[in-house]
Amino acid sequence: MQSDATISVRQVIKNYGSFRAVDDLSFDVYTGEVFAMLGPNGSGKTTTIRMILDILKPDSGQISVLGGVITDAAKDRIGYLPEERGLYRSVKVLEMMVYLGMLKGMSRPDARQRSLELLELLELGDHTKSKVSELSKGMQQKVQFAVTVLHHPSLIIVDEPFSGLDPVNTRVVKDLLLSFRADGGTVVMSTHQMWQVEEMADRLLMIDRGAQKLYGRLEDIRQQYALHAIVVEGQGDWAALPGVDHIEHNGREGTTLYLKPEATSASVLAAIATAADMTIDRFELAIPSLNDIFIQVVEDR
Amino acid sequence: MAKMWSVALREYLFNLRRPSFLFAVFGVPLFTLAMYAVIFIVIDRTENNVDELGIVGYVDQSGLLLDTSPTDMDGEPFAAYPTTDAARQALDAKTIGAYFVLAEDYLTTGTVDTYSYSSIPDALRSRIRAFLRGGIAERLGADVPLERITNPVNLTIHAEDSGRNLTESNVPALVLMPMIFALVFIMASGVTSGFLMNGVVEEKTNRIMEILVTSVTPMQLLAGKIIGLGVLGLTQMVIWGVAGVVMINLGQSLPFLEGIAFPTDMALLALLYFVLSYFLIASLMAGVGVVANSEQESRQFSSIISLIWVIPFFFTAQFIDNPNGIVPIILTLFPFTAPISVLMRLGFAAVPAWQIIVSLLILTVTTVFLVWASARVFRWGMLRYGKRLGLREIIGAVRRPPQFTTTASSGEVSK
Repeated sequence: MQSDATISVRQVIKNYGSFRAVDDLSFDVYTGEVFAMLGPNGSGKTTTIRMILDILKPDSGQISVLGGVITDAAKDRIGYLPEERGLYRSVKVLEMMVYLGMLKGMSRPDARQRSLELLELLELGDHTKSKVSELSKGMQQKVQFAVTVLHHPSLIIVDEPFSGLDPVNTRVVKDLLLSFRADGGTVVMSTHQMWQVEEMADRLLMIDRGAQKLYGRLEDIRQQYALHAIVVEGQGDWAALPGVDHIEHNGREGTTLYLKPEATSASVLAAIATAADMTIDRFELAIPSLNDIFIQVVEDR
Repeated sequence: MAKMWSVALREYLFNLRRPSFLFAVFGVPLFTLAMYAVIFIVIDRTENNVDELGIVGYVDQSGLLLDTSPTDMDGEPFAAYPTTDAARQALDAKTIGAYFVLAEDYLTTGTVDTYSYSSIPDALRSRIRAFLRGGIAERLGADVPLERITNPVNLTIHAEDSGRNLTESNVPALVLMPMIFALVFIMASGVTSGFLMNGVVEEKTNRIMEILVTSVTPMQLLAGKIIGLGVLGLTQMVIWGVAGVVMINLGQSLPFLEGIAFPTDMALLALLYFVLSYFLIASLMAGVGVVANSEQESRQFSSIISLIWVIPFFFTAQFIDNPNGIVPIILTLFPFTAPISVLMRLGFAAVPAWQIIVSLLILTVTTVFLVWASARVFRWGMLRYGKRLGLREIIGAVRRPPQFTTTASSGEVSK
């Protein structure tokens, strides 16, 4: 196991009766990174997260968190944002946050101080005395996020952190996640919002039916799935270019030129430059979006 | 440990502020006070009615009474009239409020007819009775104080094994006090363990349980809840206890509360039973809360539990007939019915020491087992949503080594 791994999962198997929810999964989450967990519904993400949090025990395999088998003390250094959000509904926001902070081992004054700071930061300073049930859904979501980072955890595990947030609040939460990473914190994020992963994640794990499909640096994976193709915008007869096998018009997204095996992007660029009747506004390698990769992986199974 | 106390403190303070708790704690004594006030007024009015009636005449056709001149024995204003016609005229003239007639065959039949234009208050009956007793005593001429004829028995029960001597005047205390204790306990523990159960159900349906289980151990959570709410129940009982002492003192002038004292030794034994059985109910309720899916479902379970609790009340007749009979003994030893059974029996007779010891022992063992078992069920059921747990699964959870599980069929698996 690597020394800088905050989480280390090795050959973990979990069955529910005859159903195998997690199938021989191994991965590491490094300290100080945003690690994305992707996968279709029912692929085993939440089960894996629950095993990391010691809510469930694996049937076999080892999980090490924050330097070893998880302890109660280690749990105080973890923040968890469950997919199914949970707050006390008929309790005042500040009171509830102080209680949950104390359950993570904070002193009452510390928990209070930190809660007020976070609520201010999340623009909820006027709602400290409101009951949770009186808040809008977005506000509740922000309170839930505040609870997750309340106790200065060194690792946070967030399940669908952006669901139910408007663009403004999505930005607020995203900035908080990134500043958490900037301060040396580790983030494990499970989400379906691929563009968020593309923007934020350092590395990712994609699982399907409990088994690993993709694992590694985001850039490496996208390169791995890169097509032998180029996306261009401009004027000209793209299909007639030397080295181009066939083309595909994508409307506003430009035109994709699929290259012959012997051609390179450089040779195609040179050909365009020398052609008299062509103008070019855009020229880039066709790297598939994470969304495309996700769909491809799931459909290939 | 610190986390357990955080949970306990939170449960205590949160539930203390619940309107339903405040209503139960202060509403019941206030309601009782209001009842008192009504009783005071009613009794007061009855007393006045006798006085309002004024002088009561009588006609002695039997010749029983030696002295037919107006008497004011014990200050009672009775006036003798030679004939019913004379009495009738006095009644019509309103010189007397009522009159009664001792029939000629009074000695064999005891017939006394009363006449009045208004209703005859209850209190007048006992005055007539006392008056006639005095008359009979005089007739007998025996050397017996009048007091002994009117009240021949002033019983003192020497209960040798409990060392408690009770005079006849505290018999109501004997019978009433255990009942009151039992009711106070049922209400206090019912209210608080109900809060406990609702709290667990709420935390489950709110999904805040996911946050809690990553912060505290199930044992810390369960223990904190049971302690916090136990102290809450104790608070309630203390408030009611104080209210009870105040009311007993206030009520000394009422005939049915006269001579009732707060029985300290019984209260202490009751407290011991109550603490033990509070843990029994609370852990059971916590188990029910974690197994049930909704508040509605948990209420069905809990009402069954409460029903078991009050079984001894259904057998009140047996307890009165033969407090040391087989039914009371069985109910004393059965842990769920022990507290109320013991108290009821103490009301009617002494309970053999061995039975109290054995029942306390069984109760303790059962309580320890149930706290342990419900901690296991608790840990296991905390994150199971949407699926009711069968009895077999619950027994399985108690027997298996503790760990959280979810099932594929619960629909909560791995999203």
